[in-house]
Amino acid sequence: MEAKRLVPCPRLIPESLMTRRKQFVIGCGALLLALFPLIAQCAGEPYFISLFSRILIYALAAVSLDLLLGYSSMVSLGHAAFFGIGAYVVGILYFHGFEGEPLLSWPFLINGSDNALVVFPLAVLTASLAALIIGALSLRTTGMHFIMITLAFAQMLFYFFVSLEKYGGDDGLSLYSRNKLPGIDLTSDIQFYYFCLACLVSFLFFSHRLINSRFGLIIRGTGSNERRIKSLGLNAYKYKLVCFAIAGGGAGLAGALLANQTEYVSPGLMHWTISGELMVMVLLGGLGTLYGPVLGAFAFILLEHTLAMYTEHWMVYMGPLLVLAVIFAPKGLYGLLAGLRKDHE
Amino acid sequence: MNDTILEVTGLHKSFGAIQATNDLTFSVRRGNIHALIGPNGAGKTTVVNQLSGDMFSDSGTILFNGKDVTSLKGYRRAQLGIARSFQITHIFENLTVAENMALAICSHSGHNFRFWQNCLQTKIVKSELLPALGRVDLQDRAAIAARHLSHGEKRQLEVGMALTGKPELLILDEPMAGMGPGGTVELSKLIQRMKGKMTILLIEHDMDVVFSLADEVTVLVYGQNIASGTPNDIKKNEAVRAAYLGDED
Repeated sequence: MEAKRLVPCPRLIPESLMTRRKQFVIGCGALLLALFPLIAQCAGEPYFISLFSRILIYALAAVSLDLLLGYSSMVSLGHAAFFGIGAYVVGILYFHGFEGEPLLSWPFLINGSDNALVVFPLAVLTASLAALIIGALSLRTTGMHFIMITLAFAQMLFYFFVSLEKYGGDDGLSLYSRNKLPGIDLTSDIQFYYFCLACLVSFLFFSHRLINSRFGLIIRGTGSNERRIKSLGLNAYKYKLVCFAIAGGGAGLAGALLANQTEYVSPGLMHWTISGELMVMVLLGGLGTLYGPVLGAFAFILLEHTLAMYTEHWMVYMGPLLVLAVIFAPKGLYGLLAGLRKDHE
Repeated sequence: MNDTILEVTGLHKSFGAIQATNDLTFSVRRGNIHALIGPNGAGKTTVVNQLSGDMFSDSGTILFNGKDVTSLKGYRRAQLGIARSFQITHIFENLTVAENMALAICSHSGHNFRFWQNCLQTKIVKSELLPALGRVDLQDRAAIAARHLSHGEKRQLEVGMALTGKPELLILDEPMAGMGPGGTVELSKLIQRMKGKMTILLIEHDMDVVFSLADEVTVLVYGQNIASGTPNDIKKNEAVRAAYLGDED
């Protein structure tokens, strides 16, 4: 800090945004992810490609949650709802396409579909719309009440889908194949992996632009001091709501990908434990770091995967690890790697 | 009518049994530095909250530029031209100084649903940011997270942010609170410079500051206006001496 006092000319962009180390970490991560299928093939473990696709999908959901938790201090414990909605849009449209029965015949005809170009945007839009509605009600509260009300909405949706007999109820819905995308064969694990990676990278890029944009500045301001935002003449509610819907859309995209990855959707995706897991990924990776949650998703799922090989009670080991991470690495794994200190952005 | 910017009539606010403001009536003339003083617990900050819309009044009316703003929400009043600073510094601690200022600038111009372009690179911010920082001598601190500023600098930033909107009425709630003598002089100069460009309602504890800056003084005791007048009138006023000035060394 003392050194910064001596900076001779005014610099408007925080130094931390430009650190080499940060760029290096992100670059290495990107390279590793881009080459991963090759590495897995060479190592003779193609199974890992599918696991990594799943991790990328969870990472996408975690990044979208970070927009809420890390940047605008909206602690939502119902993020899995949008994740699940995205998945169900894929599932339900597939189901109707497969059965040849229209989803809606009045007032206008909607047929089922397994075309990714239709299904994915629809999943994102539906999840955003749901987030807009849930957010509109939830954002009237703050703090603990907000946590509880988002949780309540997610659980309501969970039970709603449990009771939907037509779509498998409790047992969920099986897809017999993945969505079709012209030019890309999503049933190929490698191509599907790259598709997930592309979705994640696009969302990261979008989010990166978002948080530095004018809208993002207001969102971060609300997270830092909502009262001050109001005294600037800004209606914080409006901005928080839009941010909530954007994050919901991100989770919806992740859900649509997951439905394709597992070729199966169930209400379990909306369960609050999934919301909790996403939150753990964000905290573990680094709250408010955008790239951190990707690391968090990797750490969480790989740990789960490894620990589960030895014991059914893997949570017993995961818990203390998380506590240690939160105490000793306030900016998460990403903070450790990129050398962010607690008092720097 | 036209030279009264703020007219407060019969303002009441109670918290349980405590009457924070009790039938408070006063008016502020356009272009003046109007000081609001009073002993601890006289209800000064409550008045500010009622004026800025952070708190609603139990009864009474507030006219701003002849318009009744009593039931308007805080952000609407801010849009009409009432800006405030807080007694306890209210800035965006996690954002950099430049970002704090940029936010203040953005809040006054155009819509904010711009999701793509980096805010610090936008035209309005680029053209206004450096002068705005310069006004409160913070150019060199632009890239630093606001929480690393000294107390006095945070105050400067806060006042600077309030100034970006070219408010008609600026309410400064104890701007000198917790500042060393150097900072007090610095901020006094800043307030002096702003005089004439806008009306300032100054809530202050430091009598030297009040009597050197203010054109008019209102004395608040137990939520009531016990005297209003020029600094000289107030110095001579018996009731004020008894209630307040007598307590000072």
